[in-house]
Amino acid sequence: MKKFLSLILALTLCLTMFSFASAESVEDVIAEAQKMTLEELFKKAIEESNGKRFDAVGNSSRGKSVLPLFVEELQKIDPSYKLDYEGGWQQPKENKIFDQLTEDINGANHVMSMTLIQDGNQIQSKMLDTGLLLNFVPKEWSEAEGVAKEGNENPLALQTLNKVFMFNNLGEKTYKNMWDFVREGEAPLFMGVNSEPVGKNFLYMMTNDKYATIAKEAYEAWDGKNAEDDELIESMKEDAADLGLTGDNVQYGLAWVYLWCEKYNEETDDGPICNTLVTTSAKDQAGLLVYSKLRSVEETAESSVNNVTVAAYQDGYVGIGGYAYKHYLMLTKTSPLPWTSCALIAYMTTTQEGFKAWGKDMGGYAPVPACMQDHSKDGYVDGVDTYPAKNDRGYDWWLNEGKLVVEEPAYCASVSGTMSDWIDGIVASK
Amino acid sequence: MTTASANRISGFHRTWNRFKTYISKPQNAILLMLGILLTITTIFPMYTIVRDTVRIHPGSIDTQGKALESQVDALGTTLTTYNWSNLFTETITTRVGRERVTRSVASIYLWTPLLNSVLISIFACFGAILYGGVFAYLVTRTNLKYKKYLSSIFIFPYIMPQWTLAVMWQNLFNSNAVTGGNDGLFVALFNVYMPRWWCEGIFPVSVVLAIHYAPFAYILIGGIFRNMDANLEEAATILNTPRWKTFFRVTLPLVKPAILSTVLLVFSSAMGSYPIPHYLKLSTLSTQYVGMSTNRAGQASILAVIMMLFGFLILIVNQKTTSGRKNFTTVTGKSGQSSVVNLGPAKYAISILFVLLTLFTGILPIILFAVETFLPNPGDYSFITHGIAGHTTTKWWLTSENVTENGMYGQKGILYNADIWNAFAGTFFVAICCALAAGIIGTLIGYCVSKNRRSKWAAYVNNMAFLPYLMPSLAVGVAFFIFGSGAGIYNTFLLLILAGTVKYIPFASRSALNSMMQLSGEIEEAAIIQNIPWWKRMTRIIIPIQKTSIISGFLLPFMTCLRELTLFMLLCGQGKIITTMLGYFDEMGLYAFSSGINLILIILILLFNTLVNKLTGASIDSGIGGDS
Repeated sequence: MKKFLSLILALTLCLTMFSFASAESVEDVIAEAQKMTLEELFKKAIEESNGKRFDAVGNSSRGKSVLPLFVEELQKIDPSYKLDYEGGWQQPKENKIFDQLTEDINGANHVMSMTLIQDGNQIQSKMLDTGLLLNFVPKEWSEAEGVAKEGNENPLALQTLNKVFMFNNLGEKTYKNMWDFVREGEAPLFMGVNSEPVGKNFLYMMTNDKYATIAKEAYEAWDGKNAEDDELIESMKEDAADLGLTGDNVQYGLAWVYLWCEKYNEETDDGPICNTLVTTSAKDQAGLLVYSKLRSVEETAESSVNNVTVAAYQDGYVGIGGYAYKHYLMLTKTSPLPWTSCALIAYMTTTQEGFKAWGKDMGGYAPVPACMQDHSKDGYVDGVDTYPAKNDRGYDWWLNEGKLVVEEPAYCASVSGTMSDWIDGIVASK
Repeated sequence: MTTASANRISGFHRTWNRFKTYISKPQNAILLMLGILLTITTIFPMYTIVRDTVRIHPGSIDTQGKALESQVDALGTTLTTYNWSNLFTETITTRVGRERVTRSVASIYLWTPLLNSVLISIFACFGAILYGGVFAYLVTRTNLKYKKYLSSIFIFPYIMPQWTLAVMWQNLFNSNAVTGGNDGLFVALFNVYMPRWWCEGIFPVSVVLAIHYAPFAYILIGGIFRNMDANLEEAATILNTPRWKTFFRVTLPLVKPAILSTVLLVFSSAMGSYPIPHYLKLSTLSTQYVGMSTNRAGQASILAVIMMLFGFLILIVNQKTTSGRKNFTTVTGKSGQSSVVNLGPAKYAISILFVLLTLFTGILPIILFAVETFLPNPGDYSFITHGIAGHTTTKWWLTSENVTENGMYGQKGILYNADIWNAFAGTFFVAICCALAAGIIGTLIGYCVSKNRRSKWAAYVNNMAFLPYLMPSLAVGVAFFIFGSGAGIYNTFLLLILAGTVKYIPFASRSALNSMMQLSGEIEEAAIIQNIPWWKRMTRIIIPIQKTSIISGFLLPFMTCLRELTLFMLLCGQGKIITTMLGYFDEMGLYAFSSGINLILIILILLFNTLVNKLTGASIDSGIGGDS
């Protein structure tokens, strides 16, 4: 009996040692996967996840529509391949994605393999600084022709989305300068900064010297400026010092943020903002909203895309035309299916088919040009330019001419500790 | 063996025997088990909220406290008092009206939302009691016309998800000139511009909450009016007491317990409401909790703790008032001869007034929901304002694909949208499970407590079961979110069912307790003498006699679960159940989808209520009313 027990124990020990020796950490998988082609990753994914359950969490519900396409791709290699993903793509409400990921990774039972996530500030401070999420850059992505690596590589961005200034053009008001949106009497429509944190990140980014300088140049070119505004801008130097902000022109960015927070009219989502702006009764209303919302407007006597103007598309417009935030793709550090996650991420970021769910809309830009669809003539009907506002001028135009404020996770995280309260104080006092 | 040890053993045996005797009675054994179960399911989630206030949350402001004063508890979690000290003692420099000002952290994040929460709760109680109480009096004690119609239509706002009235309020009264954005129906049709205080803030939030909870008051107060012994009023009449004096000196004191019950229930429900203040732009503890969870997660939990404290306060008040109700035992209704007040010619005017009011609160939303599903763009009434009949569409119902851009934001039509129907299925699954679990547990509590009326343990179990109902829904949701995330059951039906069951046990326990109290002990004793086992006594005697009340105890959790958002919104993803999906569509401004879902939900609830009513005689308005 003793001998038998000793044998069992020895076997258990050996098996345990073997399993420890053969277990690859998610970091190891990523390091190896970054050297592999898409096809090699597909084969690894088949090996790993055939017949298994796949769970992920995302800010975009479109993630679930890419899963059947991904499985089809793998089935081209192995027709018997199956992946159980039904109901596996979750989309939490009320910014709970970070809590959900934290609990999943720190808990005993790891379910989530990967995430599609937005809000650079929280990603940096809650996910990257803590090491809970891991970055993976596909080989094909790194080597793709014309890939926009800057700001998109770490963390890896699936796409950049833009929110742009628009206004209803049936009234008398004109908006030719970014400061026109914060002049006296304005109440631009905007999602609440605490219900959609990427909006708050935009305000943080306005204090970055690059964008504060654009604000300064626009202010100097603005014909609406007055002594009171000059005084406000000057006094913002004190606020900047309190908030620990540096930069020669930070007071301009800060003054614009203050005026924006004081004036914006909060809406629950960009959808209602768009539905409002396109109507005939929304004369002289302006807003800052996701550009792609224009795609869904149906033309009636009451509503028309032609009732709005995209501010940055006007000749002679001065200043920022809106802001950009990103959807990032990352693996959880406890990912149960790391190879499959790497393969899926590579599929989404390097192929047009994988990016199709997002690429079909204007206002969303993949770093790899080959994944993109052309939206420069979305406003054309039967060859005639009928709805010019829908003709997307593209990523490069928006960055350089449209002067989008682009979210930088590290910068946002570095200033959010103090600026968040400063902004909340203004909003609470409205 | 020494004498001392022999005494000790015999003492232990005595206690053990006493325990065995106690536990041999089924009602005691059940009470013991439920007491332990409810303590865990109620107290533990609350403990997790309190603990969250002293935890450090990476990426949150409390990380600043780490280096200064952190400690590690037995579980290895880093603790800090920073959240409390920062919220209550520190200041922030910000801007108000272009001036630099220093404000306390609490003034920004706590005091205003707290004041708003208390004010809307008070106003909602007042409005619900005034509207529901007057209506209850008119229906039960006067010769009001169209009673049957009015009575059934009056509960519609309670059936509907609460924020749908808020969205309707926006669509009716908002205007470009006052609130910004496009013009609502009032401006479009009548060119009437309502002031800002009417469109946003405390007033509309209080009104909408009052309308939503008025059916509570109607059911509770109406129950008393209906069963009131007319002899008391008749005695006053014989003594030549003026009618107004009879009302204020006799009738009103008799309904006082019901009014207090309404106040307690509406106060806590209104305080925990998230969606109505969210849509009508009022900062309350609930909206602030959601807003603070990014940067001040620990302090958001402090807000939840404050909401919980209100729940405890209400429980204490409830205890006081419950003991007071012993004075009103004549209200249990043996007479059944309530006198009917003749309204005279005013009965037509009052009836029409209530027809119009209920038209606004019950019928108009349903009409608007139906119309909304045929509009080409959300809120685009051009087929009315421009008289173009062609500007309507069936696309929101009938679109079968989401590849072509149909102006539907990538969604399929309601009839073809698997996500919507899956969410409906999820909701029904949760509602059925919650109803069964809450109904069974609640019935057992009612039975066991009624059998141990003087036992302190029974009173404790009864209170423990009632406590979650008095807690604002958001606080309970937060507690179960923290608990569920830690236990790895976030976004599972298990968590939703657990939270729903704990929250809605009081519906069943109150209903069962009141009905069991009416049962004479002799009925069961006769069966005990015959050696009939306990389960047989329950299924053959007790349950059949009190069938209607017990079924109501199952029905109410079911109905409430179907349209619950605040409790569940933190516990699952947006596609899990229909209310989170409905909330998503409303937030996105896709009112056609939310309206269509609302319509289906209301029709299903009404159908179900009618079905149960036909089969068993129970209905939605016979449960809550039973207890007062």
